[in-house]
Order: sequence, then C-alpha cells, then structure tokens
Amino acid sequence: MSVVRRSRWSYLSLQQAPLLLAFVMLGITVAAYVLFFDLRLHHLPTAFAWDSTISNALPLVFVAAGQGIVVLTRSLDLSVGGIMDLTNSLAATHMHSSVPSMLLWSLIVLAVGGATGLVNGLLVTVGRLQPIVVTIATMSILQGLAAWVLPQPGGNIPASYTNILANSNSPLGLVFIGVVAVFWLLLRRFRLGIALYAVGNDAEAANALGINVRRIRTSAFVLSGIMSAAAGLFLAAGSSGGDATGGDSYLLASFAAVVLGGVSFFGGRGSVIGVVCGAGVVTLLVSVLFYANVNSFYESFYQGIFLIGAVLLGMVVTSLAQRRARGSLRRSRRRW
Amino acid sequence: MRNSLRGPRSSVLAIRLAVSALVGVLMTAGTIATASASSLAAGKDAHFTIALSNSYIGNTWRIEMENEFKSACKMAPIKTAVNCSIYNANNNVPAQRSQMSDLIASGVNAIVTDAASPTGLNSVVQEACARGILVVSFDNTVTAPCALKVNEDQYQMGYLWAKWLAQKLHGHGNVLMVTGVSGTYVNEQRDAGAQAVWKKYPGIHVVDQLNGQWDSEVAQRVVSAALPSLPKIQGIWCQGGTNGVLKAFQQAGRPLPFTAGEAENGFRQLMASGKVQGYSIGQAPYLSVVALGLAYEILSKHLSAAHFKTYNLPLAPVAVQNSNNVKGKTWFPSLGGDFFADVAQTGTGSTVAGLCLASAKSGTACPSGKLVFSFH
Repeated sequence: MSVVRRSRWSYLSLQQAPLLLAFVMLGITVAAYVLFFDLRLHHLPTAFAWDSTISNALPLVFVAAGQGIVVLTRSLDLSVGGIMDLTNSLAATHMHSSVPSMLLWSLIVLAVGGATGLVNGLLVTVGRLQPIVVTIATMSILQGLAAWVLPQPGGNIPASYTNILANSNSPLGLVFIGVVAVFWLLLRRFRLGIALYAVGNDAEAANALGINVRRIRTSAFVLSGIMSAAAGLFLAAGSSGGDATGGDSYLLASFAAVVLGGVSFFGGRGSVIGVVCGAGVVTLLVSVLFYANVNSFYESFYQGIFLIGAVLLGMVVTSLAQRRARGSLRRSRRRW
Repeated sequence: MRNSLRGPRSSVLAIRLAVSALVGVLMTAGTIATASASSLAAGKDAHFTIALSNSYIGNTWRIEMENEFKSACKMAPIKTAVNCSIYNANNNVPAQRSQMSDLIASGVNAIVTDAASPTGLNSVVQEACARGILVVSFDNTVTAPCALKVNEDQYQMGYLWAKWLAQKLHGHGNVLMVTGVSGTYVNEQRDAGAQAVWKKYPGIHVVDQLNGQWDSEVAQRVVSAALPSLPKIQGIWCQGGTNGVLKAFQQAGRPLPFTAGEAENGFRQLMASGKVQGYSIGQAPYLSVVALGLAYEILSKHLSAAHFKTYNLPLAPVAVQNSNNVKGKTWFPSLGGDFFADVAQTGTGSTVAGLCLASAKSGTACPSGKLVFSFH
C-alpha cells in the first residue's frame, strides 16, 4: 500500500516538479525584491510598491498564459504581440466612458483576439502550415492593421476603466490573476484541458485515442488570441491610451515567462499556473535590479542568466524525479 | 544495484551544483550591484533627487543624450544641488513602467524621461504627479497632461527642411524623401510639415519616399537599392541618416543635390568640404539637459511649472548652412559620420549655455564648469 502511494507521489512530483520550481523561483525573486527594497529605502515595500508591481504584471500574465497554452500543444504563437498592438489601439480609439461602451468594446476586442487566433489555428491545422510561418505572417499583418487603426500613439481610455483594470492603489490586480488561475484549474479538469496535454505529448497517439487533434490545436490558438486581447486591454488601461507598437515587447517576454514557468517546448508538460509565476518573475526582476542599483544596461544579461538557470534547474529536478519514479517502480516490482 | 546507489549520490551532487550556481548568481548580482551603482556623484548638500528614465540606449543619439545629462550633473549648479541617477529600459514599455513605479516608491523629486511610448507610461506618470513628483518628458514625450514636454517642434522641422529646398529649387525639381520610423509621432509630424510645403509648390515632384528608419546604414541601403530606378534628383529631404543617403549618391556616381537633413557629422563634413549645399537641423542630444534644467529651476521655485507645460527649443536660429558651418563647433573633423554634431546650443539667446564637445562625447564636465539656463 505504502509502495503504491509512494510511486503515485513520484509520478506527481515528476509532473509537478517544474511547477514547484516556478513557485520557488517566484519565492526567491520576491525575497530578493523585499531584501533589496529594504536595503535601499530602509523599510519594507509599501502598499503602492506591491500594488503597482501587480498592476504592471497583468498584461504579461495574460499574454504569457495564452502563449503557455499554445506551447503545451507543442506549438508557438508569434502573433501575440501583434494582437496586443491591434487590440490596445482599438480600445484606445473606440472606447467611451459609458458602461455599455466599455463592456461592448471589451467584448469586441476579445472577439477580435479570438478571431485572430482562429485564423492562426485554421492555417496551422487545416492549411498544414508551420506555426512559426503562420504566426510571423499574422504578426506583421496585425502590426500593419494596428498602425492603420492608430497611426500615431494616442487615443483615450476612460479613467474608470483604468481604475478597474490597472489600479496601482489597490490590490485589485490579484483578482485578475486569480481569474486566470481558476480558469486554468477548471479547464484542465475538462476534456479540452486533458486533450491539450494529450496532443502536446503525442499528437498521433491522441488521434488514435479519438481526440480531434485539429480542433484541439485550433482551440489553443483561439485561447491564446483571447488572452492576448485581454492583455491588450490591460495594456491600454495601464497606458490610458493606445500605441500601435505597444505590444511588441511582450512577445519575447511571454516566452521568457513560459520558460521560467516550467512549460516544456516539447509540449505536454507544464502548467499555466507556473507561467503566471514566470510572468511574476520577469516583471519583478526589473524592480529587483532597480533596487539592487544594478545598471539597467545589464538587465537583459541577468534575465538571460535567470532563464538558463531555470532551464538547467528544471532539467535537474525532472531527471531527479524521473529517477525516483523509476527507482520506486523497480522496488515495488521486486517486492511484488 | 549499482545503478540505484549511483542514482541518489549523483542527484545530491546535482542539487548541490544547482544550489551553488544559484547562490553564485545572486552573489555576483550583489557585487556588481555595489560596484556599478548608476547614481552619479553629487555634492553633500544635494537637496533634490532627479532621475533620468531613458527608454533605450542602443544608438548614437541616445548615448550622446545620456552623456550630455551626465556632463550636466557634473557642472554647477546641478553638481551641488541635484543627486542625479540614470535608468535605461531596453526600449521596453513594461520595463520602463516598472522602473518609474520604483522611482515613485523610492521618493525622487523629479523624473526626466525619454519615453518608450507616448502613451504607454501615462498611468504611471499620472501616479507620479499625484504624489507630487515633477515629470519632465523630452524627445519622445508622453501625452499625460500633467507631464511637462520639452522638445523641438517636429512639424516645424519638416516644414523648414522642405521650405529651404523649395526656395533653392525655385519651386521646380525632383525631390527624394527619406522618412523615419513609421507609426511614431516624430515621423508623422515631420512628414506633415513637408507635405504642407509641397502643396504650395506644385512644381516640386516627390519622386520617391523611402523608409530610412533614422539610421545611416539603413538609409544608405534603401537609397542605393532605389537609385538606379530613379530619375535625376535635384533635392533630398531626409529625416535622418543623411550621411548614409549622401554616401549612396556618391557610390552611384551621382552629383550631390541640395540636401535638407539632420545634424550628422558626416553630412556637416560634406557641407564643409563644399561637396554639397545643405541645410541641417538636428534633434538636439542636449534636450536631456534642457529637461533637467527645467526640472531644477522648477524644483528651486525659480520658475512655475504652469508656464512650461510645453517648451519647444527655437529651431530656425540653430539651422546650419554652408555659410555658418564652423569647424570644431558645428562639425568635427576627427569624429565619425554618424556622430550628431549638435553638441551644444549655438547662437544667441541659448536656453542652456556651457555645454561642449566633451559633454556629448564622454559625459565629462566642460572647462567652464558651469551651466546657465534661461527659459523664456
């Protein structure tokens, strides 16, 4: 009995090791943040410091979560930044300060994101094109559309909208992070969530099991599109305006968050919860380096070190867990 | 059995390795942190803290701009009154937003900023204003109403370039336009200024509009590629990378037409040698110092912020033509072609006097050791 439990634990730790690692990384980064903040300013981070950090992290949390879902299916989405470009421009040019307008345009923007994801997904699955080719093309198209919607940075986002989505004076942002987490925890209990893993692990095997691989991969792109559109809304709210190039820098950051979050680029392994932690690490790292008085010139350098460290550590932990699982399996066989 | 023995031992080793690597990274972070604090030297009685939040440090102009800022921080009155610091954000809106939030949390008196996006920082800028922090944006300014804006009038710049060309050509001729980074405010405004002039002169034909990205190498490449298909050109209107455009003309064996462009040293050198008739106005790298000076004057209560919501450097007086192109002042024989030659304000009625070549080149103090600001 104890043997069975132990091997199940081993199996779990194999699956969850990268996630645990993501939590550890976030913990280390938060600790470093508090430490350097206190060293520099001689008091603990203020409520404003926390709230603004959370609110700054929101666009990345959403866009990286979307990217994570696509990566889980062993694919990638280079158009996420372009979707953010277009959606924050749309919001900034069309949204008025009435509640119906804010709701309507939020929905339209999310729908635009979903539709873009659908196009990506269909081109990849039905068109049988490489995801990298498809999404690099849609990225350019979206960037062009964004520049057409908003030729120069500007537009306007209602102050009440900013107060809800990007309030740096209240921890409201935690609610949105919670929404992502709960959404994911629910999703992976449903068929779609399980199928995402199955397709990412082995598409042919999934197909043999009766999973509609095309539909699942397309769904991943649609989810990514919607998430990126939401990120565009958070970006617009945080800027109280639009910028047709504002989303571009989120593309690489989304991959950084996915890696730090422990999602494997070979698909089928990892969790969006980990990606959310990864997004937190990427966002906090800027502040850690700020309070540590590190010249921001070296910021990319440290981000790179952190990424490589995360990947190496992830490999070590996974192989450890694997060995453990194998070991206990062997032991259980022997006893049996 | 041997396997199961080796397993745990090597895994313990791996954990130890991983942990020590992590500790190592954190420790190097710590040592570098103490070694390269980006805070610049300040006098003991410094009573203001002013931070420069710069979106990007990857091109010649930005490097000169930061050097000018550093130089100003080493000269009176800034040297003794202000504790300066500089932060760069890799042209990344979220990173710059985080940095500004951190600057707010650490309680600076003023933030001087060249923004990664005109709108992307607005909420954090408003947050700063709400907490009584003075925000002065320059070059790539922010649209938040509470921030002061220091710049050159970009529309006027495009307009003056075009007007000079139209007059030189007596209203007739082929003009090649080389534009900048599309989707930016500066590019749109400079372009609009030029179009306003072309409308008045129907005899001017814009034969092509090439995107030079404000980069000499890019500009040279696109112009070289397009030249064989272009007719004889009498005038060049160039937003940036002017030296590259002229190089492309030289390589193609074409005569150098009348050229209105930026303040690249290479362009000014050609003007000085008489090879080209030019009209050169540049986006001044010392805009950072003008913004710093404005912040200092307002914090010292010499000026009121309400009167300086937008401050544009006067343009026409600083335009350099072949007649007023002075060696060692508006062009430098020993420096590269990409160097922006507008290192200090020339002419009368300067907003900031006291900067020199060393300011832009190395960020050191000038011989005078003193800056004089006069905002009007």
